[in-house]
Amino acid sequence: MTAQAETRTAPAPVPRRRGWSRLHLAGLAMAAPATIFILVFSLIPVVYGLYLSLTRYNPLRRGGPEWIGLSNYASLADSPQFWRALGVTGLFVLMVLPPTVLIATGLAVLVNVRVPGIGAIRSALYIPNIISLTAVSMIWLWMYSQHGLFNQIFAWFGLPEQALLYDERTALAAAAVMRVWKALGSNMVLLLAGLQSIPNELYEAARVDGAGKAAQFRHVTVPGLRPMLVFVIAMDIIYLSQSFAEIYVLTQGGPLASTTTVNYLIYTTAFQYNQFGLSSAMAFVLFAFVAGLSVITMRNRTGDRP
Amino acid sequence: MKLPPVRSTAAVLALTASLALTGCGQSNDQPDPDASGGAGATLTVWFPGNDPAEVRQVEDVIIPAFESATGAQVEATFVDWGDLSTKLSAAFASGAAPDLFGHGAAAVADYAVNERILPLTDYVARWSAEDRQDLSAALPGGTVDGVQYMIPLRMDGQLLAYDKADFRAAGLDPEQTFDSWEAIRAAAEQLTVRAADGSITRSGLLMATDPIGRQQSFATLVQAAGGRQVDQSGKVDFDTSAGLAALDFYTGLYLGQSGQPAVASGVGVPYSSNAPEQQPLVLDTASITMLNGNGIQKIADAKPDFEIGVIAPAGLTAGDAPAAFGGPGPGLMINAETKHPDLAWQFITHLVQPEVNLDYIKTFGGVPVRLSAASDPYVTGNPIMTALVEALPHLRPNPNVPGWVQARDTMDQYLEQALNAKAANAELLSQMAAAVDTVLTQSR
Repeated sequence: MTAQAETRTAPAPVPRRRGWSRLHLAGLAMAAPATIFILVFSLIPVVYGLYLSLTRYNPLRRGGPEWIGLSNYASLADSPQFWRALGVTGLFVLMVLPPTVLIATGLAVLVNVRVPGIGAIRSALYIPNIISLTAVSMIWLWMYSQHGLFNQIFAWFGLPEQALLYDERTALAAAAVMRVWKALGSNMVLLLAGLQSIPNELYEAARVDGAGKAAQFRHVTVPGLRPMLVFVIAMDIIYLSQSFAEIYVLTQGGPLASTTTVNYLIYTTAFQYNQFGLSSAMAFVLFAFVAGLSVITMRNRTGDRP
Repeated sequence: MKLPPVRSTAAVLALTASLALTGCGQSNDQPDPDASGGAGATLTVWFPGNDPAEVRQVEDVIIPAFESATGAQVEATFVDWGDLSTKLSAAFASGAAPDLFGHGAAAVADYAVNERILPLTDYVARWSAEDRQDLSAALPGGTVDGVQYMIPLRMDGQLLAYDKADFRAAGLDPEQTFDSWEAIRAAAEQLTVRAADGSITRSGLLMATDPIGRQQSFATLVQAAGGRQVDQSGKVDFDTSAGLAALDFYTGLYLGQSGQPAVASGVGVPYSSNAPEQQPLVLDTASITMLNGNGIQKIADAKPDFEIGVIAPAGLTAGDAPAAFGGPGPGLMINAETKHPDLAWQFITHLVQPEVNLDYIKTFGGVPVRLSAASDPYVTGNPIMTALVEALPHLRPNPNVPGWVQARDTMDQYLEQALNAKAANAELLSQMAAAVDTVLTQSR
């Protein structure tokens, strides 16, 4: 190839325009509202919360936050109350997550059929998700009460009355049962979407290879569903680790602190005892806890190794 | 709802007269005199709780009368008790706190030491000696270190209510009086009903064991045993023989003690705030229960056929002086940064006027804040209210010390452990005293 030919075939240099083009400005204008929203309502509060965690701050006192460095974090390290709350939070996640995912997967498989009325059934299963968590908690509080539904059922079977929310052995489990019911709908819909994204050709190929229903589920459905399963698990960990409303309504952290989650402890520390610095430090430790679990879960999706 | 014309006119005239006599004068040592006299000013008030009857009385009667008399506007907000501290903290932090706000006595000291509320001692001094005497049972509940910061709007107390029919059925005299908690417990043993397996199906004597209720139950018993929660200097004073006797008695109700069987079941199960129809007394799951005055009156109002009696405060043993938790109830405080301190004071003065206060507390079955109300037909015509008013001299409130809310919750944690037999009472009492002392020391 001659130099002349090279000159002919080389792309003509695009003149670079200095300054902002209309396209740039339009893009900026469209991104600005969301950017400002995130900045004002997410990033700045997070940074301010981090700052507060390094201070002693009682909103009733005048003079604003007082810088104390890492003292709040040191206090947390020595606080059995905080570590217990972290343990309760982890236990609550473990009590809710496996049954939720398993049942939601089963439901998603069951409703992944084309029969008349299936839309109504899917909608009915999704309803718990659109009701406010506080309202659901209030209903379950009544159901767990002395004369509520559960004790009526126990009585029907000749069993003694149970104070499930007031016994340290059962209170967290009672809250977890409610949370499983509440979380089923959204998980089922996500997993249903995951099921429907698996190409039919894979099932056909499996059938041609002689795979039965169980083998198809194991070798096609489960691998195909894995990305969505990981997403569901990660989101559930994030939500469940921040449980507050159901604890506030059902148990107020009791009995004997057996349902005091970190978020509930943050609430009492901040808003009942006015220790905003310490509660902010708790929030950041909880954040680290949740972020760590989420990263581990997401790495499993892609097969990454640390 | 509009006021009836005659009642409205009378209310306005009474208010105008009372303000002229008590609230409108100025003294040199008061902050920021309200030169406008209130006309055209807007006063923001946060009331604690949202009882519908109370809301109606305040919005339809009290505020219109005050506005007519002063020319001011009053914007009232009724904040659920559970959200009150949270919202006030946020409001103070953001500079948006109301001119006037209500709260329980347990919160006063924290606002006072942080200079968030105005001292009202000089304002109170402007009242006539007769008024001050008439309110003398209530005013101490709003003081911190001898300075008045809150004016209680009602009285309250924890008393024992009982089902007279259960007494008769158990062979007890339904009109009998008790000179001690021990005697009450002995009656409770007769009233307790058990299933074949020994479990209690009807508690003979039920004391509150829910959060806050635990501390109030313990406070009642400590004081009935001749003890106290803190001393004059604000240091813990319940780690004593009186404190231990009180704790043993309290836990013994649920766990049994010294060979005596338990007379109550359902540790931790709340009942105090249940609707009258859901109260253990009405459901016949208890024969004697500890309730506040408002709760007892609500049962009497909702169940006229239910024979309810009230047991007067007693000592723990026959030799102890009678005492119980209670006294001044929630009241109003003035924000230190209000632009209308005098107008706010006028509003408080209006609310504690004899007729206004009586009409106000009647709406929710409360106990009047004035001693003179004891001769009103609202009290004399109602045996429940008569018993409550007669109990007032024996009621002792929680101490007004900074950090009390956290101290109270700390006590609650140890009391809950005691009720669940997590350790020996003496050990838990010592731990509780040390933990509460730490909280109070850090809060000073």
